[in-house]
Amino acid sequence: MSVSKTVVINCAGVGSRLGLGITKALIEIEGKPLIAWQLEMLEEVNDIRVVVGYQADQVIEQVLKIRKNVTFVFNHDFLTTGTAASLSLGARYAQGMVISLDGDLLVHPEDFHTFLRYPYESIGYCIPSTEDPVLVNVVQNGSEEFISHFSREHGNYEWSGLVQMDATKLSMTSGHVYQLLEQYIPIKAIPVRCQEIDTPSDYDAAIVWVQNNLIAINSR
Amino acid sequence: MSTSWSFLFDLDGTITQKEILPIIAKEVGLYEEIQKLTEDTIKGVIPFHESFLKRVELLKEVPVKVVQDIVSNVPLNEKTLEFIEENRDSCYVVTGNLDVWVGPLCNYIGVKSYTSRAEVEDGFIIRVTDVLEKGKIARSFEGRFIAIGEGNNDAEMIKEATIGLAYGGVHSPANSVLACASHAIYEEEQLCRFLRQLL
Repeated sequence: MSVSKTVVINCAGVGSRLGLGITKALIEIEGKPLIAWQLEMLEEVNDIRVVVGYQADQVIEQVLKIRKNVTFVFNHDFLTTGTAASLSLGARYAQGMVISLDGDLLVHPEDFHTFLRYPYESIGYCIPSTEDPVLVNVVQNGSEEFISHFSREHGNYEWSGLVQMDATKLSMTSGHVYQLLEQYIPIKAIPVRCQEIDTPSDYDAAIVWVQNNLIAINSR
Repeated sequence: MSTSWSFLFDLDGTITQKEILPIIAKEVGLYEEIQKLTEDTIKGVIPFHESFLKRVELLKEVPVKVVQDIVSNVPLNEKTLEFIEENRDSCYVVTGNLDVWVGPLCNYIGVKSYTSRAEVEDGFIIRVTDVLEKGKIARSFEGRFIAIGEGNNDAEMIKEATIGLAYGGVHSPANSVLACASHAIYEEEQLCRFLRQLL
C-alpha cells in the first residue's frame, strides 16, 4: 500500500558535532549509509523530499542509488540557517500532511508505521538519551497523550525530532523546529523507539541500536 | 485557467527523451562532432550561444524539411506531455533550438513556445537571426512560475524562477543548474507528481 503523505528528510547540515567531515546522511552504520536505513523504512511513501545542502551532490548520488522517485530540495544557505529553514523549504508546495524526519534520526520501523498511519497532527517522543535534548512534557488526557510544552531544561520525555503537521503550518526561516511547533501545542504525542546521532558517542550507540532494532527485524 | 502558476519547460532532455541535435546529426552522418559540442554545452564548458551557432553551421546543409521530420520522430516523455496537455494555458516551451527545426514539434506539443530563430531560403537555413536567452524570457513572466530544465543554458531561467527545477530524468543536470536550482528531480513520474501538487 502506498502513502500519499509527504515525508521531508532534512539532510542539509554539516554535522559538525559528530566531527567526521561528512554530512550525517552519509555516515556508514553496519555497512549502509544512514540515509539508506531511512529510505528502507519509507518504501511505501510516494512523496519523499530530501533537503540537501552540505555535500548535496554526494547525498543526491547516494539516494539515487536506492530510489529515483525522490524530490531533492536545496537549502543553499545551509551554513547560516537551521533545521526549521530546511523543513520549511522541504514542506513548501506540498499538500496535506507532512512528516519531518531529521537526517540524523533512526526510528524503529514499527513505530514509524504507527506514526505514518496516524491521520492527524502529531509528535513523536522518546526516552531521553542524547546529550543535548529538547525535552517535552507528555500529559495524559483520557486515553490519549499530548505534548503540553517543549523545554531545554524540563520535561518527562525527549522530543525525537519526528513531527507530522499540515504543510501550511511549517513555514519558518530561522531557529529550531520545536520553536516553530510551540504555537500549535497541545499536539498529540506518539511514543517512538529511536536513536539520534549528534555526537561520536551517539554514533557508537547507533551501531548497537541498528544491530538490535533493524538488523534483528530484517532477519526475523 | 486552472492555476496561478506558469510552467516553463526546456525542450531537449526535458520534454524529449533525448537531445535533439545529436539525433539530427546521426541521421546525416555528423554525430561525433555534434555530440561532443552538445555534451560540452550541457556541461557549460563552452557557451550555448557559440556552440549552438557552430552546430547550426554543421547542420545547415541538411534541408529544413528533413530536420523537421527527424525532430517530429524524437521520442517524448509521455507523462510530461500529458501534464502539458492537461494544463495548456499555463505551460510554455522555452528552447534554444531553432523555430524552423522544432516548430512542428512545438505545434504538436500544442503550447506557446519561445525558440531561437533562423531565416530559410529555398528550404535551407541561410542564417540564424536570434539565439534565445532563456533568462530574458523568464524575466518577462509575471507572477509565480516554475522553470524546468537541465542544460547550462537553462541556468538563467532557473535562477529567475519562483521554483527552479533541475530535471535529471534524461541526463544529469549541469552543475550551473544545480547551483541555482531550488529543487532537483530525476524521474518523470516524480516530476509530474510535484507539478500536480502546485495546481
